[in-house]
Amino acid sequence: MKKLNQRATALQLIVFVTQWGLMILGFGILALLVAPLRLQLDPGLGRYFDAGVKAMIALVLSTSWLFIWDRQVRLYFYRKREGAAEPA
Amino acid sequence: MLPSGWEVTTAVLLAIASFPISLVLTRFFMKMNAKSGIVGIDVHKLSKPKIPEMCGASIPITLILLSTAYVLIDGGNSLMMLAFSLVVGSAAVVGALDDRLKMRGIYKPLLTLLCGLPIVALGLLYPNQVYNPTLQVPIFGSFHLPVIYPLSIPVAISVTSNTTNMLDPLNGTMAGGVSIISAALLIGVLITDPAPSSVFLYASLLFAALGFFYFNRYPSRAFAGNVGQLSIGAALGALAILSRSEIASIVAMFPNIQNSFFFLSKIKRFTEHRALSAKPTKLLDDGRLAASSDLKAPLTLVRTLLVGRPAKESEIVSTIFGLYLISATLALITMILVG
Repeated sequence: MKKLNQRATALQLIVFVTQWGLMILGFGILALLVAPLRLQLDPGLGRYFDAGVKAMIALVLSTSWLFIWDRQVRLYFYRKREGAAEPA
Repeated sequence: MLPSGWEVTTAVLLAIASFPISLVLTRFFMKMNAKSGIVGIDVHKLSKPKIPEMCGASIPITLILLSTAYVLIDGGNSLMMLAFSLVVGSAAVVGALDDRLKMRGIYKPLLTLLCGLPIVALGLLYPNQVYNPTLQVPIFGSFHLPVIYPLSIPVAISVTSNTTNMLDPLNGTMAGGVSIISAALLIGVLITDPAPSSVFLYASLLFAALGFFYFNRYPSRAFAGNVGQLSIGAALGALAILSRSEIASIVAMFPNIQNSFFFLSKIKRFTEHRALSAKPTKLLDDGRLAASSDLKAPLTLVRTLLVGRPAKESEIVSTIFGLYLISATLALITMILVG
């Protein structure tokens, strides 16, 4: 087994742990705040409206999560320029 | 009723058979595909060797054979095995079609959406026997998703299969990575909820991937092809749903998620690597790999790991395995937190 790129591994460790924490927090928000929401009393179509609204909230949360992931990787690895010849 | 230790032990023992089966089948495909001219060029070597392609077909065949044997020999959960086999088999067919026909990039995600339908259909026919629409969340309990959960199953299978397909640029990265993921999730299942069928499927996936990895590791003597990559990714997705390890599976696949997300956010469309005008890495004259300086090139995981530091292919492969070990450890902690 060849040696690891320790700098990149350490930076990725920070990225993964941060994203892991944020993901659990996001699921916590979904479980505690979003899932109990009852927006429609109509038991028929209202059920699907509820599900649609909750799915949209989950989509916004996951997009925000990916945005933070994107910023973090760009900050750590591509700070100087995306051309990437030089380390950040 | 809790499963007995004997049931779990026999499940693991039977699953170990997937290692020699996968090994023999991979060897068979290596010989057959080399004779038939089904070969790919290892572009990250200076000598540009020709390597037999589509040898990863050994993995879905092994998984389907073993699942059938498990039901017949040990009376395993037949519905779960049927759902798993249909998902893996259909993803393998999509992969084989793509290997032979070289379809446009958009077709793979669309066709793999269909691969999740067997789980949805069997789940509707046999409620609560195939999947459970209550998502278990670490620390914060669980929430019921009767509408969203079944609708998201095809998306989940498509995402896991395609993201696995996208992170196999270097020798052994996909097979080694999936081995690490499945080993961690197997340990997690054994610690938290050792349902024999889940233990069997995770162990089968682990040993089948290891059997293929023997020939696929650096320097590769066999390439998986889309048939192997898509079916293994679909197997991970199906197992996440069938064994209720959805969130832990997402965590375990962090390296894949990062790779796919950065690829798509830069390229902004589904496309094949072969169709890219700007490649993310370049091969230097001394045989090392370096990050591309082309601004149009996608920010893949390999390119990110090469920023400012050209490296040998084997070093990058080791670093990717290191990342998988990190994500697999986090996945294991996630499973323990879920309980």
